[in-house]
Amino acid sequence: MRFAPLALVPALLMAGTARAQDILSCQLAPGWTQSEAMHQYTADNLYDYKDGGAEGYLVYGFAGMKSITCKSGENTLIIDLSEMSDADAAYGLFASNHDPRLPIAKIGMGGQVQPLSATFAKGKYYVEIVENAADPNSDHTAELQALVNKMQQRIEGRDTPPEALAWFSQENLTSTGLVPQSVLGLKQLKHGFVAKYKQGQAFIVMEDSPESAAAVLKELRAGFDGSTSAQVGDEAFQAKAPYLDGICIFRKGRYVAGYANLPTAQQAASESIKLAANIP
Amino acid sequence: MLPVVGAGSSLGILNLAAQTPAAPAGGPIKLNYKTLGKTGLKVTTVGMGCMITSDPSVITRAADLGITYFDTARGYQRGNNERMVGAALGNKRKQVILSTKTEAHDKDAMAKELDTSLKELNTDYVDIWYLHGLSRPADVHDDMIEGLQLAKQQGKARFVGISTHSGQQQLLPWMAQKGVFDVVLTSYNFTMDASMEQAIDVAAKAGMGVAALKVMAGGPRNQKLAQPGALLSALKWVIDKPNIATAIPSMTDMSQLDENLKAMAEPISADDHKVLAAHLEIIKPLYCRMCGECDGDCAKGLPVADMLRFLTYADGYGQFALGRERFLELTSEQTSVRCGDCAECTVKCPHGVAVRSRMARAQELFA
Repeated sequence: MRFAPLALVPALLMAGTARAQDILSCQLAPGWTQSEAMHQYTADNLYDYKDGGAEGYLVYGFAGMKSITCKSGENTLIIDLSEMSDADAAYGLFASNHDPRLPIAKIGMGGQVQPLSATFAKGKYYVEIVENAADPNSDHTAELQALVNKMQQRIEGRDTPPEALAWFSQENLTSTGLVPQSVLGLKQLKHGFVAKYKQGQAFIVMEDSPESAAAVLKELRAGFDGSTSAQVGDEAFQAKAPYLDGICIFRKGRYVAGYANLPTAQQAASESIKLAANIP
Repeated sequence: MLPVVGAGSSLGILNLAAQTPAAPAGGPIKLNYKTLGKTGLKVTTVGMGCMITSDPSVITRAADLGITYFDTARGYQRGNNERMVGAALGNKRKQVILSTKTEAHDKDAMAKELDTSLKELNTDYVDIWYLHGLSRPADVHDDMIEGLQLAKQQGKARFVGISTHSGQQQLLPWMAQKGVFDVVLTSYNFTMDASMEQAIDVAAKAGMGVAALKVMAGGPRNQKLAQPGALLSALKWVIDKPNIATAIPSMTDMSQLDENLKAMAEPISADDHKVLAAHLEIIKPLYCRMCGECDGDCAKGLPVADMLRFLTYADGYGQFALGRERFLELTSEQTSVRCGDCAECTVKCPHGVAVRSRMARAQELFA
């Protein structure tokens, strides 16, 4: 869960070109042919392709991208294969880009196929497919589903979501994600998993050690005037604060976790007790 | 209840539970405003780029503190960013200047994207609607300009413009001459040369509002610039420029917000200039701005800027294989050149890049 975007060697995309070409092949989609040479991007030149949206990749430990364009008649298919620093980062990028109003399908660690687009993450790779169809109202879901099935079979790596996501309560859950910087908008919570609910949000941040987690909790508590101690995990506090409403933050081992944006601090503490029970 | 900034904490974090107004560095929050060209919009000189903001509370608080300009794009997080920005601004929407962007390249697709943006942002108009990330006049077709004008006529966009990361020296004068653009959102920072300033001057003189992005010159990922205070100095440098109405650094947390607000409270100082000058000295021999001024200067026909970029892949990002792959795509005549064989280098970088030694390094690594 540590992102280090600039110091990584993107193994598959850069060194293993042949393997990348196996995954990124227009031939995987019957009737499509590659229309131009494969493009390759690094953190240095991703802006050339994604404009300001490049930042959204870089914060998730972007290591490199290969992209091909396929043609079938007047329709164009653009397939981007991004290599991230690790599987959690790849899932994080997928989660940040997925449509939370639609279900996540079992494609690699998770994916979504829509009428003219598809995304999924598997291992440390994130795949994004966009079809520019002559008829923008056409539905190519089946065709895209077949393509992502073939692609994900060719990608090695983890095919289950990050373990920590299972620790969140599933009741009234609306979406989960991996926040790459500043969970809850607090810089002390460097990065971690977040679960959004119909009311409130929960988070889990993994520190290097129980000691560093304790230091983070102490520093956080100093920023919440009027906080009171709570009986959650190894140590905890609760407070009512602007922007975060009822909040409870606790430490369990090397994890710093909790609930925010609930009506009262007590409710945040109650929910935190359940979350703490799920954290090993 | 007024928002609170973390002046009370020696740790520099948000004093979230306090109920009375406070401000960064112990003083009241000072907001500076400029007019965004002929739009007449009054914007805080520090705006907010929402692109990588994860928690909506940061955006809400920025609006509470009085920041007036918020920027997003249809393409950010495949639309999720617009949705979050809309929710975060809530009933403050009409008190702020809200911009978004489209990547569509024809008026029909643009109109469809704008309707989606308005729905996701939970508003019936945007203040500024940009064509996203264009670099050359040739990228801007008449059909796209028609799409922009149509959005204005329909009241869905009050003003229109282009966002750009490169090619400003050609694009901005062209925009100024064209006369149909109200605003340009351009990358601009202290590492850039006088030609950029001239291009911005042309745009401003034509009445276009100029907003700046990439103001941190690589920002938090650039470890050397991440030394304490350097990012603030970089932001001050940009908003000090008379032609820049607002700058929109990305912000992910309350502490960054507090820090960036200081740029409006504290004028740029000699110390800030020293910090930035020191950084430029560090990067000067290594950092190719890709300005293109050396194009055609090499007596042996080497594409200097490209080769320096390949070297950056290897030396800067640890991606040797990519750098070598790109190097080997050059012609055999080019890959066989050895800069050490020339008595004198014909390429003189106006920005101080040590071209000969860097090129020799590329040949040593890749050839």
